[in-house]
Amino acid sequence: MSINLNLSTKELGFIAVMTSLCVGSNYLMLSIPNVKFMDLFVFVSGYLMGVIPGMLVGFLTWLIYGTLNPYGFQLLIFFATSLSETLYGLAGGLCARYGFKVSDSLSIGDGEFWSSNMKLGIMGFFLTFIYDLITNIASAFMIALPPPRAIIVALVSGIPFALAHEISNFIFFFLCGTVLINTIGKVILKGGE
Amino acid sequence: MNKTPWIWVSAALLCALVVSLYLSIYYYQENLKYQQLYAEALKELEKYENYIAVNILIDYGNGTMTWHNNTLVPFGSNFFTATMTIAELNYTKGQYGIFVTAINGVGGDPNHFWIWYIWNSTTKSWDWGPVACDAYILHDGDILSWVYTKF
Repeated sequence: MSINLNLSTKELGFIAVMTSLCVGSNYLMLSIPNVKFMDLFVFVSGYLMGVIPGMLVGFLTWLIYGTLNPYGFQLLIFFATSLSETLYGLAGGLCARYGFKVSDSLSIGDGEFWSSNMKLGIMGFFLTFIYDLITNIASAFMIALPPPRAIIVALVSGIPFALAHEISNFIFFFLCGTVLINTIGKVILKGGE
Repeated sequence: MNKTPWIWVSAALLCALVVSLYLSIYYYQENLKYQQLYAEALKELEKYENYIAVNILIDYGNGTMTWHNNTLVPFGSNFFTATMTIAELNYTKGQYGIFVTAINGVGGDPNHFWIWYIWNSTTKSWDWGPVACDAYILHDGDILSWVYTKF
């Protein structure tokens, strides 16, 4: 049995470049817990290249970063983060497919630019909220307490990290989302088939 | 998606709601945690309600001096029992009370004796212990010393 993903060479190259960008930026920002550019890069990948490439960038990034992680390796957390990260790629792909338009204008005096930034910021916040919810619930299974209490403990103790993650992602998506989508989009077009 | 700005306004408000919910839960938990710590600290302090704190100096006469500040002893303790809590003592019981012969293994040299003193905060000097060490009932904040003295 084989899965035919129908990926072109261009898509494969894009996935490789974006994955290395995510992994590289993750290691660069290692000292700041839960504040990473990765989620934005995965979303942008999905938006520009579609659902499957976007999800693959997220999954492959965690495959490397989750395995070679100085904070340690936990199989359950590894699965939870790898699969949850694909959410950004999925959302990016679906946004592009169902007509979510990112402003073409990069002028800071343009209202459309800021409106597009705000929408991306909000989207980044909610995607991160779902991501944190899933990964915190997964981490509850490592706490030696009965499941309902373990989930509450994991969710409550994860609040400072979730806040840092969600607010930083709101800022990254808000400030860099539109710019990155336009810039990387143009690079893809220039190197088009 | 672009036609309905109110969806985005609502979504932004929902973001703010999530953040405030997070902060409320977090600070509520912190409040509970510190309340519990405060209760534990109060309970711990209750243990020391019947205790007094004294400062004891041991001068071995060879330049070595050790301070045992804020030594907690039960209310009504004497200097001998207080010293027992901080050092190993050899002693004999005499007609006038306990006579300490060695502290932490130091003692027994010819013409050398362990003498105890009490700090006089009025004259700012050490006064000789007025009674045997086991007959002196300690007061909170007392400053006392054992000095290995040659006669």
